Amino acid sequence: MSVIVCHACDLAHRLDRIAPAARVRCVRCRAELYRTSAAGVDTALALASAALVLFIIANVYPLVAFKVNGTTRLATLAGAARGLYDQGYAALGLLVIFTAVLVPLIQILAFLYLLVPVRLGWRAPGQQSLFRVLAALRPWGMSEVFVLGAIVALVKLSSEAEVAPRVALIAYGLLMFMLAAMASATPTEQFWQWISRGRR
Amino acid sequence: MSAPRVRAPITGRSLGLRVCTRCRTTMRAATGAGQRCPRCYSPVHVRRPHSLATTASLVITAALLYIPANVLPVMRTHTFFSDEDDTIMSGVISLAHSGSWPVALLVFFASIVVPLLKLIALGEILIAVTRGSVRQPQQRSRLFRLVEYVGRWSMLDVFAMSLLVALVQVQSLATVEVRPAALAFAGVVVLTMLAAQSFDERLLWDGESRD
Repeated sequence: MSVIVCHACDLAHRLDRIAPAARVRCVRCRAELYRTSAAGVDTALALASAALVLFIIANVYPLVAFKVNGTTRLATLAGAARGLYDQGYAALGLLVIFTAVLVPLIQILAFLYLLVPVRLGWRAPGQQSLFRVLAALRPWGMSEVFVLGAIVALVKLSSEAEVAPRVALIAYGLLMFMLAAMASATPTEQFWQWISRGRR
Repeated sequence: MSAPRVRAPITGRSLGLRVCTRCRTTMRAATGAGQRCPRCYSPVHVRRPHSLATTASLVITAALLYIPANVLPVMRTHTFFSDEDDTIMSGVISLAHSGSWPVALLVFFASIVVPLLKLIALGEILIAVTRGSVRQPQQRSRLFRLVEYVGRWSMLDVFAMSLLVALVQVQSLATVEVRPAALAFAGVVVLTMLAAQSFDERLLWDGESRD
């Protein structure tokens, strides 16, 4: 008989009494104890690769265009953080770069680093530390909030000037879905199963 | 003596088991301090040490910052005719005036309601846990998870501001400038997120087992 303890309320569950299901919740506090996903390593890798391409587009090209007096101003993601920095708000600029650029980038790269070796049957060093970094960073990745924030900025300006979303904003919007799909394709349990398979 | 209980819930603690809150592995409690998860090597505790004190100090700091964040202007717009200061609320009102009701409501919820809800909910949970009487832990834990989930959305205004600052820099016509209260606002968002992360949810349920 094996026992699993709920990480959110400490209630012990006997595993042999739990019906096999795709998602198992704690009987007391409803926290998710584990979840399995039908997606394989290949699906997860495909999602991460697509996310990387979208991430590059989202960071290289302008997000929005702002037309006034016949001249057009373009803002990139880095430009948005730079503007805050230039006005003496380095902390705000760093916060924007961290939550909207660095965390998604680390998530994508760490994901590829951990799963490409699994696919090839190798073993990547530093799996445990990288997993801990990924888990700690998860709440700080704010791609979806950033997309909505950009839309709010567009609406605010649209009453006074001609503004339009550009390719990077669309790429960023798609990136948001890719990151969400990546997370749902690799529940923690699944991730460790893949990794331990690679270890053998 | 309260209502008779059939039996106290069997917890990991009462069985001498520990669970890793990072990767959710269940393991036997080790003797001595500094136990680590065998799977992901995260530190493992019966209950996270100093969870209440850490969360409480972060909530109190965030509550203090909430005042300047809402009272003082976060943004200044220089135009050819005038300088205009905007607080979070006046930004919402001008959005509503320009006819963008859905967006105005969205910003109102994300920037004003969500941070306030977080502070009240976390404060209430902290008081209940400190008193040692968490009634209806089901509802409290649902409230806590809601707070944890919606917290990040308050960053909405910070992102919107960063784009406004980058775009509206037409020297002769209009420029947008950040004001110090924007820092206080971002501080509220970050500190309440850290507060939720440092709270050990298991404290909500410990009253049920008394072991």
